[in-house]
Amino acid sequence: MTFTVSSLEGGALRIVIEGELDAVTAAEVRKDVDQVCASNPRRVEVDLSTLRMIDSSGVGTLVSIYKRVRAQGGEVVMVGLRDQPLAIFRLLRLDQVMASRDVPGVVASAPRAGR
Amino acid sequence: MRLTAGFEMLGRLKHRALVLRSVSAACKRATSRVDEPASNDFRAQVVSAVSEAFNNIVLHSYAGRDDGVVEMDIQTLPDHISIEFRDWGDSFDPDSVPPPNFDQLPESGLGVYIMKTLMELRYAPGQPNVLTLSKKIPPGYRRSTPAKGRRRVKTRSRRSKSAT
Repeated sequence: MTFTVSSLEGGALRIVIEGELDAVTAAEVRKDVDQVCASNPRRVEVDLSTLRMIDSSGVGTLVSIYKRVRAQGGEVVMVGLRDQPLAIFRLLRLDQVMASRDVPGVVASAPRAGR
Repeated sequence: MRLTAGFEMLGRLKHRALVLRSVSAACKRATSRVDEPASNDFRAQVVSAVSEAFNNIVLHSYAGRDDGVVEMDIQTLPDHISIEFRDWGDSFDPDSVPPPNFDQLPESGLGVYIMKTLMELRYAPGQPNVLTLSKKIPPGYRRSTPAKGRRRVKTRSRRSKSAT
């Protein structure tokens, strides 16, 4: 699994997660996640197009990013979901909250207030 | 045709890949390639549930131990797949785990929900604890002719070097 962070214009960050985000790798990226959240980004785009597999621990990591950045007034959007990760997002009803319009069937891309 | 494959390993997360690869292969063997997206969807659901079951054994039943043994049997029938795990760690009651409150975007407590939603879950506490996940293969995805192979495949890697 690789977890790559790059800066975009306007104080935004782009995270690319490739491979498997699971109970093992979620623990490995905890420090990286802390760093991302501590940088107080205005917008975080999480590219999941090369994420092959996710489990509940991996979901917890993504939800943590979403909640922490949102709590600081930032915006988080997950893009590129497909296959097994998309199925899990749909099962846990996260596709409607965190995913962008590029996910089939998603009608709302704006994060809900107060989450 | 009934096919059964048995595995024995130590309850360590590094063995999860072997578990998931084996289950994925069993799903592939049991489902039709005519409707590949549907078969892939079926496989993703089974692999997701099994992943949570194995995590649960390692992280909770054997919490803090790395010498606990896990046995897994994968059984495929023309219309059905079931995966049975046996462990000798702490027991738990899946029915005592409340469903997640999605309005609060939970970061944990999702594993049992994933298992229960994607497959039928049975759990018998004891020594061993026996957790069984099963799922019917929808008629449209079933392989029309039985997969060729041995009638029964039993692979036991008893704490072999590769599984420790």
